[in-house]
Amino acid sequence: MTIEKTALAPGQEAPRQDATPTGKAPRSRLRDNRAAYALLGPNLLLIGLFLLVPLVWSLLMSFQAKRSFGPGEWSGLTNLSRLLSDDVFWRALLNTAIFTVATVPLSVGLGLGLAMLMDKALPGRGVFRTIVYLPIAVSSLVVSLVGLLLFDESVGIVNGVLRDLGVGPVSWQSNGALAMLSVVVMTLWTRVGFGMLVYLAALQDVDKEVLEAATMDGAGGFNRVRHVIVPWLRPTTFFLVVINMIWSFQVFDVVYVMTNGGPGYSTTMLVTYAYDEGFGPSRNFGYGATVGLVLLVITLAITAVQLRVNRRQEA
Amino acid sequence: MPPPPSLSRRALFGSALGLGAFGLSGCAGLTERVSSTSRGSRDTLTFQTYGTDVEGKIYDVLARRFEEQHRGVTVDVTVVPFAEASTGIDAGLVSGTAPDIFRVDYPTMGVYASTGQLLDLEDSLDELAGDSSKAFMDAVTDRGRVFGIPQHVDTSALVYRPDVLRDAGITSVPDRPEDAWSWEEFADVAATLRDAAPAGSSAFAVNWQALGAFRWLNFLFQAGGHVYDEDRTRSLLTSDAAARALDFTKSFFDEGLVPQTSSTKAATYPDALFTSGSLAMLYAGNFLLPSFADTIKDRFEYAVTYLPRDRRRASELGGNALVATKGATNPELASEFLTFMAAPAQMKDFCEASVLLPTRDSLLSRELDFAVAADLMPVYADQVTTIEPRDVADVTTATFAEVNLSLANELETCFLSGRNTADTLQALAEQVDESAYLNRQDVS
Repeated sequence: MTIEKTALAPGQEAPRQDATPTGKAPRSRLRDNRAAYALLGPNLLLIGLFLLVPLVWSLLMSFQAKRSFGPGEWSGLTNLSRLLSDDVFWRALLNTAIFTVATVPLSVGLGLGLAMLMDKALPGRGVFRTIVYLPIAVSSLVVSLVGLLLFDESVGIVNGVLRDLGVGPVSWQSNGALAMLSVVVMTLWTRVGFGMLVYLAALQDVDKEVLEAATMDGAGGFNRVRHVIVPWLRPTTFFLVVINMIWSFQVFDVVYVMTNGGPGYSTTMLVTYAYDEGFGPSRNFGYGATVGLVLLVITLAITAVQLRVNRRQEA
Repeated sequence: MPPPPSLSRRALFGSALGLGAFGLSGCAGLTERVSSTSRGSRDTLTFQTYGTDVEGKIYDVLARRFEEQHRGVTVDVTVVPFAEASTGIDAGLVSGTAPDIFRVDYPTMGVYASTGQLLDLEDSLDELAGDSSKAFMDAVTDRGRVFGIPQHVDTSALVYRPDVLRDAGITSVPDRPEDAWSWEEFADVAATLRDAAPAGSSAFAVNWQALGAFRWLNFLFQAGGHVYDEDRTRSLLTSDAAARALDFTKSFFDEGLVPQTSSTKAATYPDALFTSGSLAMLYAGNFLLPSFADTIKDRFEYAVTYLPRDRRRASELGGNALVATKGATNPELASEFLTFMAAPAQMKDFCEASVLLPTRDSLLSRELDFAVAADLMPVYADQVTTIEPRDVADVTTATFAEVNLSLANELETCFLSGRNTADTLQALAEQVDESAYLNRQDVS
């Protein structure tokens, strides 16, 4: 006989182990659950249908020799082994890494700088904020076409201006490094506004008293930013770094429109390569799915590492 | 007083789902892609095409003519951008909503024909086959069966500006096929034009961008080479002829004869450079002549001469076929429509309006009344005669679309990134061999 049972009065039942801490009756909890699932249902259905099913489908396809039409044939790890020995894949991975390293710090840093600038009582502040934020509200395809118009080597506006200045035309499209630079510049144009907006909102939460105390202690402008504002904004920075990294790994439209991955493979990214293989003339769905899944794994791994580092810093 | 009517959660949930579905269906009109496809019905044929405005209009005229001859039949013509055409067709074929009839370029047709997606036209085109060259019928034939009508062909010739050539001291341009410039003569002319060109202008450009990468094969064929061996199971791209063709075309970039932005993966086409006056010469397809007439007007004079030759003359098989899907709701009607479109009257009207070349010998030998640039078309008509059956076989394999992509990628790496000829041809050969292997898998 257990101690608990001895403590009970005759005829009294032991409390059920699944009773809720709030003391709600099980029947009521079941009703709550049903309501919750009913509300979640449509979203779960959409996520399942348009995210999870295609994801599992892609996973299955990556183990198949699946091309154009008809059923695929199971091919084990053939796609993966081809991937590992595929020079273009490694080039695309390197390009994506370079693009990410170039765009993420600059997007976040310039966003913070602009946010601090726009946080001050500037004349026409609203207009400036709108101008900086506008590119993110415009279709990325339109931004890419604007990029093409700007950086076209023969008839582009940038080279036209440079020619007029006597600097001479620059090989924005036929030089690999410069082509990557043009893609990075157009990407930054779209991203900086988002970073600025998020930082602007976060800056409103910075404790003015702490800033005043720092000033009283003799901290100059740079030190206030470095030792008060930047640490204060760490969660926002973390969010922006993660989201920008994911965006950078998923870059597609700007590259597709502006350089088509060229010259050669100089600006071929993982997503453009997966698209070319899966949906381009090759119609090699199995291999395209393999490239896409590798991209997913890399993105998840980097995000997990960042989460871990962030938690450790917060602890 | 009776209590107010209450709405049960189940009813509320059901209503929400219903409203959601209604809302989503309402959005369909806003979000439906232009390239979405639909099957026809017993009396309705759906027809997806792409092309210039002129081509869209003449297709519409011919569809109405078919309707007049077939009371109660409707032909729905949908014009989509060329870049979206294949994606929409592929999705339609997989989901069973492909249009009954669609337009497809010859290099892409092999993908559909070899995988059993197209309607076998059996013997309904015997009359057309008797009036067309073997090369053109081969372009729509897979393993002995005809899967489409070769509606028209187009090819490249060398468009040039007589005023610029005259100013540079070039007084003679070939006006007979047998006088076509050799590669060496052409290189000399191009170098002269480059030296005389003002800043921002170039001697010439080649039309091998994006899906036109296969036009590099003109140089390969001219040098006496081929993509595949006779049975198309092995690449011949490491041959001396291929090396000669690549060395010659690479020199265009190395010696500054063409704009650096006119490589095989360029984001823009070079015809805009020609119409803006930045090029002295351009390898250009005849399908561009209407837009040249429209854009250039009388700003400057332009003429056409034959493509330069090496061991032989050669020119690419451009153009499009019309095909019917195997799952067409009314295959007899679909087949009848294709036969109607291949008839001499329709082919003549279509080609004259669109400034394209017919595939029927009886029409090719006649002087057609082209809507514009009729004086330039004889050069193109002659270029078409240089296309040989083996050239056609090279570009209509089941996986040529894949080879075309490899050409675009690898050639640009050679032209702009400095990779040498041998390594480029080796990389191309490996990719062609790999796709030939996959091609055999598809067929089996």
